[in-house]
Amino acid sequence: MNLTIILAVTVVLAVVSFFITRLNKKAGGFLTVIASLFAFVGLFLLKGSIGGEFSIFYFSFKITMVGWYFALIMVLAYSMTSFFNPFWMDKMMYPGSYNFMYLLSMAGTIGMFFAKDFITLFIFWETVVWSSTFIIQLGKSRKASYVYYVVSAIGSMATLFAIMMAYSVSGTFVISEAFAGLSGGAAIAVFFTFILSGLAKIGIFPFHVWLPAAHGNAPHTFSPVLSGGLVKMGAFIAFLSVTAFPAYEIFSGMFKVMGTPFPIYFLMALGAISIIVGTLMAIKQEDAKKLLAYSSVANGGYILIGILMLDQVGFAGGMMHLVNHAVASAAAFLAIAAVAYRTGTTKMSEMGGMIHRMPVTYIVYLVAIISMAGIPPMGGFVSKWLIFQGLADKGMLFLAAAAFFGSIGSFMYVFRPLSAVFLGQTFTRDLKKKEVGFFMMLPMLILTALSILAGVFPNTILRVITEIQASVGISPVTLAENTIVTVNGYLDAFRVFIVFGFGFTIAFVIFIVRRKSKKVELMDTYTSAEFIHTRELLHYSSKFYAPFERLYDKAPDTMKLYKKIAVKIGELGNLTESLFYGHKPEKTVFWVMITGIFVVIIGGVV
Amino acid sequence: MNVMSFVYGFLVLLGVFVFQTTLTGLNRKVTARLQKRYGARWYQQFLDIFKALRKDSTSHGWVFDFGVIMALGGIMATVIFIPVAGFEAFPGLDNIFVISYLLAVGMLGMAMSAAGSGNPWASIGVARALTNMLAYDVPLMIVIFTLIFAFDSSSLSEIAALQQGMGILGWNAFRMPLGGIVAVIALLGMLGKKPFDSFIAPTEIASGPMVEYGGKHLGFMFILHEFMTFIEVSIILSLFFGGGATIWEYMLKYAVLYTFMNIISGVMPRFKIDQAVKYFYRVPLAMAIVQGLVVIFTGLGVTLWF
Amino acid sequence: MVLDEKDNRNVWEKIGDYFSANSIWMKWYCTGCGAIELPPTMTSRYDMERLGMGPMATPRQADVLLITGYLSTKTLRRVIYSYEQMNSPRFIVAFGSCTINGGIYYDSYATIGRLDKYLPVDLYIAGCMPRPEVVMNGFNELIKMIKKGQAKGWKHYQENYEWYKKNQLDSLGEVIIKDEFHE
Repeated sequence: MNLTIILAVTVVLAVVSFFITRLNKKAGGFLTVIASLFAFVGLFLLKGSIGGEFSIFYFSFKITMVGWYFALIMVLAYSMTSFFNPFWMDKMMYPGSYNFMYLLSMAGTIGMFFAKDFITLFIFWETVVWSSTFIIQLGKSRKASYVYYVVSAIGSMATLFAIMMAYSVSGTFVISEAFAGLSGGAAIAVFFTFILSGLAKIGIFPFHVWLPAAHGNAPHTFSPVLSGGLVKMGAFIAFLSVTAFPAYEIFSGMFKVMGTPFPIYFLMALGAISIIVGTLMAIKQEDAKKLLAYSSVANGGYILIGILMLDQVGFAGGMMHLVNHAVASAAAFLAIAAVAYRTGTTKMSEMGGMIHRMPVTYIVYLVAIISMAGIPPMGGFVSKWLIFQGLADKGMLFLAAAAFFGSIGSFMYVFRPLSAVFLGQTFTRDLKKKEVGFFMMLPMLILTALSILAGVFPNTILRVITEIQASVGISPVTLAENTIVTVNGYLDAFRVFIVFGFGFTIAFVIFIVRRKSKKVELMDTYTSAEFIHTRELLHYSSKFYAPFERLYDKAPDTMKLYKKIAVKIGELGNLTESLFYGHKPEKTVFWVMITGIFVVIIGGVV
Repeated sequence: MNVMSFVYGFLVLLGVFVFQTTLTGLNRKVTARLQKRYGARWYQQFLDIFKALRKDSTSHGWVFDFGVIMALGGIMATVIFIPVAGFEAFPGLDNIFVISYLLAVGMLGMAMSAAGSGNPWASIGVARALTNMLAYDVPLMIVIFTLIFAFDSSSLSEIAALQQGMGILGWNAFRMPLGGIVAVIALLGMLGKKPFDSFIAPTEIASGPMVEYGGKHLGFMFILHEFMTFIEVSIILSLFFGGGATIWEYMLKYAVLYTFMNIISGVMPRFKIDQAVKYFYRVPLAMAIVQGLVVIFTGLGVTLWF
Repeated sequence: MVLDEKDNRNVWEKIGDYFSANSIWMKWYCTGCGAIELPPTMTSRYDMERLGMGPMATPRQADVLLITGYLSTKTLRRVIYSYEQMNSPRFIVAFGSCTINGGIYYDSYATIGRLDKYLPVDLYIAGCMPRPEVVMNGFNELIKMIKKGQAKGWKHYQENYEWYKKNQLDSLGEVIIKDEFHE
């Protein structure tokens, strides 16, 4: 399969879907399914032609292993989510442009990962940013897309600046050569400005504000893509900044923290902060989608730490966490979307007991959160295990503390929607609701199966990662059959799974031989012998962790700080405007000139 | 992995059940003596469990049953991984992260089943239990992280073996005294003993997660509690008190550690859940970090230092 | 109830009854004044844990529903609700004279007279109030009864459900339910 064909077909289908949606909404939705599945299959077959280079118009591409890996994750998220598209067309304000943007942004991501030079990368990057900005606008809030766009723009512009600065030294835009010859202060400046767009995209601490805003307010069918897919673009930039820009070599003379150069350690610390912030904020969210968005912030921290470690174990963990989080997060968002499809809300306090109405969706969500929280036998456990081993190997105590906090804190926040949305009392309004149709169930089930497979046979994914590690010149993680070997011990995920199955079987047998239990209504529950007739009153969902939330409810809110800065910038603009566009502009010009002359005179004297 | 491993695993489960349940019964007597009572018979805990299994039960839907089975299954799988005096049914799988996260499967199953009962008390109890877990686990994990860094191994049996043969001062609790204190305090939290037992407060929130269980479900919960106690005490015993060279030494040390926990618990009042979090994030967390920094930067404690 | 019935339990039921007799978990329904006698029964003076007894938090977990003293007709509904939430085998121990015949409230319009009419009582502990010695004695008697398989109130309740239901409804009269706070 040729990359040109994949790109051309997706772009053409994007335009076609726009017009077809005008004629028939459902048909347009189904076209996105076909197009994204085509891209997925095409990409999968692309593995044979790794190493090839070619160019279309001005764009030049190089098919690399890591690009293939990233693109596959991305298109997986797109193609699985696209199954939901046909059913949401009626609820969308502009279905035609939604489908168009959906496919266009997918084409953008594919092109971006295979770019050979930075100009290609940048153009495709901006295609994704722009098209997703317009999609987010179709959701609940128009303001969310402003936040998303501003944060993305800050990152993009910084990266563009870094590329230009590197170009001025090396004279080339080709990714593998562009950063050659940088050193000293220029290297630090280029490093930090370059990775800025990556940090903004993953949602690392100061830039994390866009995730809850965008994920929480985007159309329900686009949130899985945002969290499962687009966030991973940032990881690609982080990957480039330690491999193409050989940060470990360039900074090797600098002050080191536990064997890691300070600039890199600084970024890892930012990752650790986002784990903590993401966890704490996720715990107190009342909206299921916002909660999952903050969990993406926390998981982004793991990915960043893992990738920046660039070693044998931690790096493999970071790279594997990409796919695990993509699968789990997409599945969780899809499950919430499925619930929202039936109930029309994502507020946790307005739902309950959906398990009795939508059992399959519940299983999907359960597996997704088990993976997200890093509990065996799901995929997330293996990648978090690798990251922990990597951190323990290097002795990075504070990063590890944050990682542990995030890992255990994730039990708290992932349990929240499970308990509030799926368990507990079914609301009277929802008693007649039905499970979603098979076509919507299918992608969720596929993602669930992937989560389990990644946990039981992690080596399938890790083999690809060893090839990536070999291609960037670090020693690959040691794999035996079914076993991952690290310095500090080894993990046989398959055997863990088998033993878990053994334990489960024993428990099941004991359970089944005992007398069958009497089935009672959910409302027939211990209420201190008081009669409760309203189902909604017996459901505990809002302020779930109130005693814990109280401990940090005075913590400063980043968004408020940004709002204050925005107000100040606005005021500065008003001041300038009033000076030059007032009743007597000549007066201002006079004073400016006088001040200027004084400054020049004083400067001359000094 | 062969058939014998599974047979051994099953025998381990049986042995652990009998041992821990007897010990719990004896400890009920210890607690009673602290309160100047005569106390229950030593086999009372067995009677309670079998009585519960004998009774009829009430189910609130499939997740209520499934969660219970998943909880006991996950916990039993974890018990099989625990090395007892160097013996493992499945050799090489005693990785500390595997054990502590597989334990979470059981807890998740229990939480799921409890919340699935539709009772608000259960949800409150689960919320508190999870908060409690966040409180004690972070300091403990930092100390464990320090151990892994110091000994280049995350295997429970290896770390236990490294401490043996040097007398009592070779135990990590004495090599790394701050870490040892943190581990013991965290063990109180893990076991849900007073002062960290607000999530099963019987009169305040009607025993929290356990509120809707009766009959065989409750019996399952009791068995699960015995197994969970075994796992938690064993982790701390292997990591900080040298495990045991022989099975008898292991059982003796285990009994002493567990009884010690019970005696502390017997004379304590109860923390509110936010007080527990505040406490853990003040004293034990600081001690854990200090211990970690000492080990990482000075190497004190990796070998014997006195 | 007929006490001298022939013992027709099989071996498993006998073993089960042995466990039931030696591990009695109670739910205390403490609306009456008798609750005050229970703390001394439980703590170091009389220590009911010796017999394997102890308080439990909810009716689902409990084997014995202990009704300590008079029951107003309003709380009778709650007692019945609690009893029906319990898992069988379940037993009721009625405590104090009020549950036998109304006690000093024998002519009150607001309390019920004989508890036996509404719920199957396995054992009465008479007295006003019964002292802890009597309570312990009563529990001993209950243990013996369970061991012999004579505490069959729960079976009796199942078999004569209509009769009990009719009595219960008669005493309650008409209950108009609007919501949780207005009945």
